[in-house]
Amino acid sequence: MSGGRVEAVASAMASLPAMTPQRLHKLAESTRRSTADSAEIDRPVPPAEWEQLWELLLRGESMGVRLARVALGEQGSGRASDAARSLARRWSAGARELEAHLAEGPVPGPPVLVRGLPGYPVALLGDQEAPEVLFSAGTVFDPGPHAVAVIGTRAATYYGTEVAAEIGAELARSGVTVVSGLASGIDAAAHEGALTCFDSSAGAPVASGCGRPIGILGAGVDVVYPRSTARLRTRVESAGMVLSEAPAGSAADGWRFPLRNRIIAGLVSLVVVVESHKSGGSLHTVEAALRRQKVVMAVPGSIRSPASAGTNMLLSNGAHPVTDPTDVLVALELLGVPVLAGARRRRGDGDGDGDGAPGPAAECEEAAATNLDAGDQVILKALDLTPTPTTAILSRTGRSLESVSMALERLAEAGLVRDLGGAWARLAPPSRSAAR
Amino acid sequence: MIARAQSATLVGVEGRCVTVEVHVSGGLPGFTIVGLPDAACRESRDRVRAAMLSSSFSWPQHRVTVNLAPTGVRKTGAGLDLPIAVGVLVAMGELEQESINDCAFVGELGLDGSLRPVPGVLPLVDALTAETVIVPLGSVVEAKLLERHHVLGARSLRELVEAMCGRAAWPQAVPPGAESDERPDLADMADVDGQQVGRRALEIAAAGGHHLLLSGPPGSGKTMLASRLPGILPSLSTPEALEVSRVHSAAGLPLPSGSLIRRPPYRAPHHSASAASLVGGGSASMRPGEISLATNGVLFLDELGEFPAMVLDALRQPLEEGIVRVSRARGTVVFPARFQLVAAMNPCPCGEGGPGGQCRCGDASRERYARRLSGPLLDRFDLRIFVARPTAAELFRRERSESSSSVAERVALARRTAHLRGVRCNAELPTSALDELVPISGTIRRILERRLRAGTLSARGLDRLRRVALTIADLDPSAAGVAPEHVTTALELRVGRDSLTGRRIA
Repeated sequence: MSGGRVEAVASAMASLPAMTPQRLHKLAESTRRSTADSAEIDRPVPPAEWEQLWELLLRGESMGVRLARVALGEQGSGRASDAARSLARRWSAGARELEAHLAEGPVPGPPVLVRGLPGYPVALLGDQEAPEVLFSAGTVFDPGPHAVAVIGTRAATYYGTEVAAEIGAELARSGVTVVSGLASGIDAAAHEGALTCFDSSAGAPVASGCGRPIGILGAGVDVVYPRSTARLRTRVESAGMVLSEAPAGSAADGWRFPLRNRIIAGLVSLVVVVESHKSGGSLHTVEAALRRQKVVMAVPGSIRSPASAGTNMLLSNGAHPVTDPTDVLVALELLGVPVLAGARRRRGDGDGDGDGAPGPAAECEEAAATNLDAGDQVILKALDLTPTPTTAILSRTGRSLESVSMALERLAEAGLVRDLGGAWARLAPPSRSAAR
Repeated sequence: MIARAQSATLVGVEGRCVTVEVHVSGGLPGFTIVGLPDAACRESRDRVRAAMLSSSFSWPQHRVTVNLAPTGVRKTGAGLDLPIAVGVLVAMGELEQESINDCAFVGELGLDGSLRPVPGVLPLVDALTAETVIVPLGSVVEAKLLERHHVLGARSLRELVEAMCGRAAWPQAVPPGAESDERPDLADMADVDGQQVGRRALEIAAAGGHHLLLSGPPGSGKTMLASRLPGILPSLSTPEALEVSRVHSAAGLPLPSGSLIRRPPYRAPHHSASAASLVGGGSASMRPGEISLATNGVLFLDELGEFPAMVLDALRQPLEEGIVRVSRARGTVVFPARFQLVAAMNPCPCGEGGPGGQCRCGDASRERYARRLSGPLLDRFDLRIFVARPTAAELFRRERSESSSSVAERVALARRTAHLRGVRCNAELPTSALDELVPISGTIRRILERRLRAGTLSARGLDRLRRVALTIADLDPSAAGVAPEHVTTALELRVGRDSLTGRRIA
């Protein structure tokens, strides 16, 4: 690992067998309490204490038992439990092994971020449950005050993935860092959207001021999970960075993911849930965010869609609705910044032609503009933004397959509908006001 | 003394002439059969001896050698019991060699001397060159279907000898019942509510002989649709009927009473089927598989995703060639396999995937499921549609849907158009004929170019699409040729892989 001795020691501590983020936190906390004033309880661990902890471990098992009791939260002066003894044994053995590697000097590799040292995300410094050590991949940067988590279910619908990608793209364009869990479904779609601002091969931003993506993992940074996100993962790494508190090589164990969610919640100033089932993992992130007084927004969905049951519940519990990707920017109080002028003007336009000309009229205008004949308009009216099976279009319009397929062909050529294979949907019109 | 009797044995679904030579000579009493008999055939030694004794013939106290010529062909089954027995009778002087010179014999013997029918009488008799064919009484009707031989039948060995010697009359075969109705009670299209796209695809598949893939959630009516296909297919021509009947007879399946199989067969093997049961083969004897039994008809594979990938990929070559060559160490057999493939599948393990669906499968399990449908196999389906669940309004419509008989009329008309082009159906049209029949110009060119550019249509797919478009035009009485709307309709009925396998569209 590159960096100084403290980083190396801290990452070695985190990589010990049977070391969990909670145990590491308790150990760090204990050294902090011994040296800091009680008023400064949130002060980050000073560098010296990592060395001290490491020395204690190396000194032998009896010292290790004391540390193990601290990590396990054992109180009093009685005999140490068997658990503490076996933990101490494993730690001492592990520490001796790792010390041999440490002595060989720094290993080149992506930096390790240690709480309290330069490079550690500022947003996490004040967090009660912040990770003591973060392993990284990609280029380390500080997301700054405007980071947004775009999260949601892995079993996303067509609607959800599309909206997630739109929000991701809008945020990245406006210079906001998109943080997500790099899971499949919504997480992946959000990052795909954010990456539209970056050159796909080199990872360089297409325009200046793009928000760089951050992926927070449950497994080690060298473990690709799920496999389907492998390509996305490398693209996120080349455009931004990937962080994990799990040491290299850690498998994607189930218990790591709820812990991962608290890092996401701590890192961002706002959480957007695009789609979530009634009891989805995204709701844990929401809880963690609410405990940290972060803003939670949710994308409304169909009341018939189980993938929107969780988000709709959040909305009825008072989360802010996202009716347009720019709503997130409004919540961040970013509207007014020059890069957002385009987005703002678009909203302004919508309000402008909304006076006295509601939906149907706008539709007619749209149709007239593209010179559709009356027959094609009937087909267009039978469609909405959700996929409609061809059979349903036939029964809605009462026309033959020949005439419907020909009309759809013309509409697709005009860019008004999209072919989803056996189903069709309207394309979101360029002006968002017309869709409302 | 040497006696000769004509008979035949089955090689795959074809009959092969066999001459049974019986030699009775001095030496220790014994009975051997030579000439590559299989187990069932070798056992005929015991059956023949017991049958002769039960029929109160004496058994020669000499050495009896039976040779089955040509010796290179493996003889299977018990159909050679009767010619062996007749040969022994001739060698013993119970019958004259002259009286059986123009006769051929096929039949199994019971220990009591009774004659029993054997599978494959149709192909066996087809191979025989003798003028008169003598079979068990129960097989007379089937043997007569070929209308080439003078067919006689007997109930027992004793009865046969009496009739041959002119001491008794040949028993009359029970005349078959009235010929069954042209269209037996098949499932009718009128029962299918809604499903307009599915109904159209079925009609086009029937008219053009195109392979059809139905993907959709459980309960959307895929199996219901597929079972309606035989009802709208035209009846078989005589050569086709003969081919189908021969295969079914060789497989030991019952033929309709007193006639050839006139309706296209419909075979629906369960997804636990092995590769051998599907394409044919087997260790003891080469049996035709389900694809051969479905020849000139429909092979329906329900739950396509549940079939082992190896079994499905075994279908690829027969789908191209119309025959299947099954090779074993013992030899190679060619079975006919010109079938129309209809398959149904769920888009994903939970079944709820597809456009607008509410799939809850994990990405990995969905991918694993999608992988079972190999690209080359998918390519062979000209028509692939997504069958959505019908809405309540569609289910409770007042008016009945169009019935099978009126759809079948249009199908028959389209098939006749294809006959004029020199093929059975448009799916068999050679690529060279397409340029003239389905020219690509003007609007059609623009439509196709857009798909080719987008990568949703391949060069091979283009030819298949043109054949489907031609079938759609053939079904349209007002069409003078292939119009743009026929092409867009064909495109609509050719759903891409991602939709069929429920991959979410990002």
